[in-house]
Amino acid sequence: MASISSSYNPREIDNTEDMPGRRAPLITGNQTYTSVTEMVCRVAEDPQPRLWWILFGMASLTASMFLMLIGFLIYKGVGIWGNSSPVFWAWPIVNFVFWVGIGHAGTLISAILFLFRQNWRTSINRAAEAMTIFAVICAGIYPGIHVGRAWLAFWLLPYPSLNLWMWPQFRSPLLWDVFAVGTYASTSLVFWYMGMIPDLATYRDRSKSPFRRFIYGLLCLGWTGSSRHWLVYEKAYTLLAALAAPLVLSVHTVVSFDFAVSQLPGWHTTIFPPYFVAGAIFSGFAMVVTLLVPMRAIYKLENLITLRHLDNMNKIILATGSLVGLAYGTEFFMAWYSQNQYESFTFINRAFGPYWWAYWIMVTCNVISPQLFWFKWMRTNVVAMWIVSIFVNIGMWFERFVITVTSLSRDFLPSSWGYYRPTLFDGLMFFGSFGVFMTLFLLFCRYLPTIAISEVKGVMSASDHAGHLEAEVLAELQGKDPKHAGHAH
Amino acid sequence: MNNNEHNVKSNKEPRPPKACGWMAEFENEHDLLHAAEKVRDAGYTKTDAFTPFPVHGIDHALGIKPTILPFIVLCAGLTGLCTALLMQWWMNGVDYKYIISGKPFGITPASIPVSFELTILFSAFTSVLGMLALNGLPKFSNPVFTNAKFDRATNDRFFLYVDATDKYYNRESVKELLSSVHANSLDEVIEDSTPSELPRWILLGALLIVLAGLIPAAIVLNMRASFSDLPRWHVFFDMDFQPKKKPQQTTTIFKDGRTMRPQVPGTISRGQLDQQDPFYLGYDPLKVKTTSIDGEKQIYVSTGDSVANVSAISPAVQPPAGTPASGTPASGTPASGTPASGATPALPFLEKLPIEANEENIKLGKAKYEIYCSACHGYSGFGDGLVSKRAASLAQDTWTPPSSLHLDRIQKQPVGQIFHTISKGQGKMASYASSITPQERWSIVLYVRALQRSRNANIEDVPVDQRGSLTAPAPSQTK
Repeated sequence: MASISSSYNPREIDNTEDMPGRRAPLITGNQTYTSVTEMVCRVAEDPQPRLWWILFGMASLTASMFLMLIGFLIYKGVGIWGNSSPVFWAWPIVNFVFWVGIGHAGTLISAILFLFRQNWRTSINRAAEAMTIFAVICAGIYPGIHVGRAWLAFWLLPYPSLNLWMWPQFRSPLLWDVFAVGTYASTSLVFWYMGMIPDLATYRDRSKSPFRRFIYGLLCLGWTGSSRHWLVYEKAYTLLAALAAPLVLSVHTVVSFDFAVSQLPGWHTTIFPPYFVAGAIFSGFAMVVTLLVPMRAIYKLENLITLRHLDNMNKIILATGSLVGLAYGTEFFMAWYSQNQYESFTFINRAFGPYWWAYWIMVTCNVISPQLFWFKWMRTNVVAMWIVSIFVNIGMWFERFVITVTSLSRDFLPSSWGYYRPTLFDGLMFFGSFGVFMTLFLLFCRYLPTIAISEVKGVMSASDHAGHLEAEVLAELQGKDPKHAGHAH
Repeated sequence: MNNNEHNVKSNKEPRPPKACGWMAEFENEHDLLHAAEKVRDAGYTKTDAFTPFPVHGIDHALGIKPTILPFIVLCAGLTGLCTALLMQWWMNGVDYKYIISGKPFGITPASIPVSFELTILFSAFTSVLGMLALNGLPKFSNPVFTNAKFDRATNDRFFLYVDATDKYYNRESVKELLSSVHANSLDEVIEDSTPSELPRWILLGALLIVLAGLIPAAIVLNMRASFSDLPRWHVFFDMDFQPKKKPQQTTTIFKDGRTMRPQVPGTISRGQLDQQDPFYLGYDPLKVKTTSIDGEKQIYVSTGDSVANVSAISPAVQPPAGTPASGTPASGTPASGTPASGATPALPFLEKLPIEANEENIKLGKAKYEIYCSACHGYSGFGDGLVSKRAASLAQDTWTPPSSLHLDRIQKQPVGQIFHTISKGQGKMASYASSITPQERWSIVLYVRALQRSRNANIEDVPVDQRGSLTAPAPSQTK
């Protein structure tokens, strides 16, 4: 079975074709339930390829460096960063928004695409959700260590403090952020975990070693696949999707409030919430492509994560990239249309001021590079899309840099203008967060189901037997007992 | 599992296996659905199907009722909403009001984000936990796990199960029914023979871990409830300890070991620029010089080329008050002095009045003298004021009679010293600096000089055109 499923020829079946009336298969290679299980479980059961060990070694070293740098930061203080008047919100906040933005793709794929019945999501949602959790972990680190006395970061929470005798200020967007990111992280985590329960049971039941069986048995909570359980499970999944869909949109909205509720030119705009959400989805999908393109090649998952999946994601990247470009244009239009001299100055300063290079990197990567996805050749070429996705990641980091640093470095009073320069610690700590992210993602590939096996099987079933369901619906319309119609079929 | 094997061995009398029901295996979901319908139609209700993915229509085929989970989640969501609103209203509107730009307290549009997030948070966790609770999970021991075939239930096989507790259950008839539905195989599910109680070593281990886990909490609670003389134990120093010196501490940085540094000589505090002006002091502070001998500041006064030791106190230029009025050597000639202990500070007093000697100032001085000075010193300056006379009549030895301003040593005092005496006091005499302005004090000095002059005047002092108005023109009388 394994030999069949791993023999992948990308041009054998072109499932990227969208013909009206015909439904292209979601997964290729004449898969059966058995082969799908085999293909996914093999990722965790087989010895990891040499490349995994190389990547894991590099990633865990980088992550260790990051942890040591955090220790040094706590010991020495935030003065090791380049944050200085007037730019006190520098890379830590840029990195926070960057990672939170990336963390939007997973729950968007699992929740919003689920509600829209986009069945192609089933092959990619698990990895995207995992990526979301890990990105949010990276994001959460930055505000945590940026507060200065990181060991008192729990003061952000409303708890009855014996030291302070006071409560948080609920009118502050920074507090909303604590609640939004906290809710998003925890809800995404339980969503991810709940989705994994049936697949962890699959892992348990295929385990050869008693220890492995014991661990996966604990993790899957004794899941049997009972239909009575499935019914409640599916309802819970639908509810979670319905709850997570507005949550996804709210998180980056609240993150944008951190900026938009202030009065700084370039931040104080009503366009920020939709603009940030579009940017977040954009960057998140780019990161999913960045991760999945190598993953499907390394683990030979091309039949499950097909070109059609990548094609669809690239279409979303194109749409959201164009939305982001529209937002950039709208900002300039509003700066001119409002006839507000500070607003006009800010945007001219962004494009032609001391940070012009950052602005034009942002425009090139975010607005121009995704336009290549108008061409189907680009959308279905894995190397090309991987390069574009890297560009988008770079561009979206620069977007947050441009927003944060250009507005802060030159505000109303020219006498307090400045030019922000990062230190070596800024760079190493940003690089280090990728180590944490990659370490967690590699461990995820190694130990947890990277593809939602049960969901893929459910979609296989529905597409294979669409006629069966149609007959039932027809029979119901004609007043017959649907199960007899099903029998007849 | 290791534990199970261990248990089986340790359990001396395993219970006899008990049949729980029949389990039929199917190749695909359609066979399962048909079989499920048959079983349902036969009247069995304690049935279940085990599938690798949710099979559509199985709820209908098995007669499973819809779940109440959505209503539970709705309640949880509303609870989250109310919690968020109450929390924000109470924390920011009642218990700790933040006054910011006059914005209203309690529930405002700014409460929306947190309320929204908590609604989602409560609902989401209730969805997951409610799903687990309604499904009776986690449940690690299950009779269906006793058959290795069942491992494929999460892979590629579909199982139909009829439980022995069903009211129509009959071992043979169920077997016959399930044999007729084209099942791959049919097995009787045997109860899990694993003992349900945990082995003792696990319980002991768990107990030890729990007890060990309570130790830190117990220490913390004990510390909160008890008193200790020891200083607080700091995990993080915060701002309690800083690399800095506080008042009254010692240091090795300075030779004198003091952390509080004295002012540099000539330092003037803000708002006290007049402390440098002879007009306010009666002497010229720039002529006061200090040196340091053995870490102790010594004040020296330089008048011309001679130097005299003034005092050994603070370098701030403050002449010591309370020097006895008696025994004060004449000032203005410090060079001649070999100052004995308790000697009057020989400051560089002004010799010339800083104000003009005109009629207006004389009148001002006279008025102020008669208000402040005459009570003791008398209207003519002989030290015979009413207070002085009354005190003398009481004959108390605590009273020091005021000096006559016509004493030779006072007549020889420079004007600055008289000003200084008014300002700082002398002997029993208090300071009048707070009552009499510098201008008025100089006017008093002018008036005192006039009084002294009046006791030692001769005819040459009277202007020529007014000599005729004197009633006793005999020149011999004047001196």
